[in-house]
Order: sequence, then structure tokens, then C-alpha cells
Amino acid sequence: MAALRSSSSLLLGAAVSRPALRIAAASPVAVRGMAQLADGATHSSTAAGSQTGAEKQPNLKTFQVYRWNPDTTTEKPRMQSYTLDLNKTGPMVLDALIRIKNELDPTLTFRRSCREGICGSCAMNINGTNTLACLCRIPAEDKAEMKIYPLPHTYVVKDLVPDLTQFYKQYKSIKPYLQRETPAPDGKEYRQSKADRRKLDGLYECILCACCSTSCPSYWWNSEEYLGPAILLQSYRWLADSRDEKTAERRDALNNSMSLYRCHTILNCTRTCPKGLNPGLAIAQIKKEMAF
Amino acid sequence: MASIARSSLLRQAASTTKFSAATRPAFQQTSIANAVRATAFHTTARRDLLPPLPQRVEGTVNDASPVPPTSPSHGSYHWTFDRLVAGSLIPLTVVPFAAGSLNPTLDAILCATILIHSHTGFQNIIIDYVPAYRTPRARKLFMWGLNAATVVVGLALYEFETTDVGITETIKRIWTA
Repeated sequence: MAALRSSSSLLLGAAVSRPALRIAAASPVAVRGMAQLADGATHSSTAAGSQTGAEKQPNLKTFQVYRWNPDTTTEKPRMQSYTLDLNKTGPMVLDALIRIKNELDPTLTFRRSCREGICGSCAMNINGTNTLACLCRIPAEDKAEMKIYPLPHTYVVKDLVPDLTQFYKQYKSIKPYLQRETPAPDGKEYRQSKADRRKLDGLYECILCACCSTSCPSYWWNSEEYLGPAILLQSYRWLADSRDEKTAERRDALNNSMSLYRCHTILNCTRTCPKGLNPGLAIAQIKKEMAF
Repeated sequence: MASIARSSLLRQAASTTKFSAATRPAFQQTSIANAVRATAFHTTARRDLLPPLPQRVEGTVNDASPVPPTSPSHGSYHWTFDRLVAGSLIPLTVVPFAAGSLNPTLDAILCATILIHSHTGFQNIIIDYVPAYRTPRARKLFMWGLNAATVVVGLALYEFETTDVGITETIKRIWTA
């Protein structure tokens, strides 16, 4: 579903942004003038475009972005607003962020890599929802400002970059790899029936973007001990794998009051997952399997 | 109550801006005025009970986080027991009203189940909000406080069941909907 979403938006995005590019190419003087910095005192900047006699009205949209610089620790985090012309910006929030960084403010820091929702780098809190900036459309008809924060309740490295050290340490603690003693019967590969393979659908697609874990109130309070939805979904991915032989050990590792059972079925994880997965269901399956 | 608190805070805000103007340095004046202005429009006082600590990484960043020891009595058995108790409450609540008869044994079982249900529920709340790794003494205090409260309520319910009318009859008398 995510793939469909992004491909259709890419097509739309190309249709929207092409005329703007052509105008910029036709008048080389105007290329640098596309972005203009307003006075720094108000922390507001515009890239409204400066071409005269354009047939298209500029479609301005303001983005409020969380800024914090570790080099100036005495300064508090602040929101900085940037105004972009959506006619010249791609359809997704990541396009807007990249444009801000390229043309308005090179000091803006964020992670991004694949720009198509497969790497999980650009996870951030956009308009109050944890999502991937590359899969989140800019609502064009809505004139309201967009607010962009780093993932909630994380230690911030800089601007929109959260520190995921604890998240990765917890991922490592569940041993996310095939554990097996007996060799394969044909000495070549570990075979699996189609039905067994189907159990892994909806689990293997997780890209560990941490959107779900950082949306979970229980993980906010107890991230030191509670594993959080993303890691528990991965845990279930290895518990459900028919080729894995350490299922009992994996269950024992979760069988304490903190690791698994701090999940109170709040289901923020399922609601926020940008890949449309269901970590809540995976956790419920683990609980059910361990119950009797 | 909130409105009373708010008006007093507003008065305080007015007084600080009026009288302390000359005595405090400029940057303090603005910050105090802003803080009071902000609190004046909140109905509850803002108190950081457990403010977030600075980041602390155990071991190196490449070490796995420690796996707690296996303990089914705090894990899977506890969870299963919780669900069974919660599930059994539904028929226990419905039966006396549906059947229309008052069985003292059934009433006693309902009382005991509600007591256990609330005990484990409060336990969950304490485990969530009083973290043992950060406030071990407060955790111990809260847990023993809960145990004491459960014992007191248990005794009170026993008294109520044996010497008074019992819980189902009480609700029947109070319920006038």
C-alpha cells in the first residue's frame, strides 16, 4: 500500500514541479533568486520565487520546524518558520525540507536517505503524528502551517535528528537473527512451507523507523526496560519463524514484568505506522502464545 | 476551585510586575512575568515529578541492552491471571441482577474478585509510573502501601459482607435509575 502511495505521488509531484523547473532554467539569473532570505531577526524566511509575470499564483505554505543546536547549549529549542512556494516544491514534506536546506537554511539538520519510505531515516513528528517525511504529503488545499518536530520523547542530537541508541541496543538484545543448531536436511538451505512463510507477512516489512515506539506512552515512561512496539514486532517475527529453533529461549527473555507486559494495548503504534503494519497485533500474539 | 487559584495567581502576577520592577534585574523581571502569565492561565500547577534525566548509555553503544531474568510469576502467569480475573468479573456482575436472587457466597466471590482486580490494576499503575530503576525506595513504599490498603479494604468488605447487607443489595438500594 505504501508503495502505491509513494509512486502515485511521485507521478503527481513530477507533473506539478516540472513547469517551475523550466522557468528557472529559462532565466539563469533567476535561479539563485528562487530563494530569498528575509531578515534573520524574525527567524522567518521565504522562497516565494521572484519571476515576474508568472502565469501561476504562488501557493505559499509555512513550515514551522523545531530547531536546537548542541553547540549553543544555553539556548532553548525554538520553532523556526520557513515559507515555501508549493508550486515549486515536490509533494512530500521531505521535498520541502530538502528545499529548505538547499535554498533557505543550510544549517537545518535532518536524516534522509531513500526518499521512498524504505530506509526509515526521515521519521519525524509532522503535525502531531509520527511518520516518515517522505511518505507524508503536504496538504496543498490546507493553508495552515505545518509543524515539524523530532520523534517525541527522544534525546535530540540536533534539530530533527533523534538519538536512537537505546532503540538499537534493545533491538540487539532480542537477537534478531536465525538461531539454529540442526543443519538443513539437504545441506543447502532451510526450507519453509508456504503457510509458514505467510506467517511472516506483515512482520518482515518493518523498517525500524521508530515511529511506533516513540508514539507509545508506555515506551515514553519506561524506555529503559520496556522494549516498545517496534522491537516486540521484530521479536514476534523471530518467534513466528518456523526455521528458528530458539523459540523457548526467546519467550523466556520476554517473560518478565517489564520487557513485554508494559504494553497496555494503547494501539498508538498501529495507528501511526507509516508502513501500515500492526505492531499491536504482533504484541497481542506474543502475549497469547505465552499465556497458556 | 480552579478559578479561585487562577484569580490569586493573577493577583500575584500583578503584584510582581508592580512592586518588583525596581529591585530585580531586567532579564529576571521578564522571565518571572512570563512564567506567572503562563501559570495564571493553567488550571493545574505544573510540577515536574520525575524530570527526564540526561542521557546515559550503559556500556558502549554497540552493547545489547541487558535482558532481565525470567520470572513468569511477574510475566506470563501474572498477565494470564489478570485476564482471567477481569473476565470472570463480567458474569459475576451480571448474574445477581439477571437472576434476581441474592446468594451470599456469590456476593463474597464478587467482592474478592473486585478486590484482586483492583489490586493488580493498581500494581500495574505503580510499575508504570514509579520506576524501580530510578526510585527504588518510593517503589517499595508504594507497593507496601498498596498491600496495606488492600488488606484494610479486604477486612472492611469482610465486615460489610458478614454483618451488613452485602455489596449487591447495597447497589440495589442505591440504584434508583
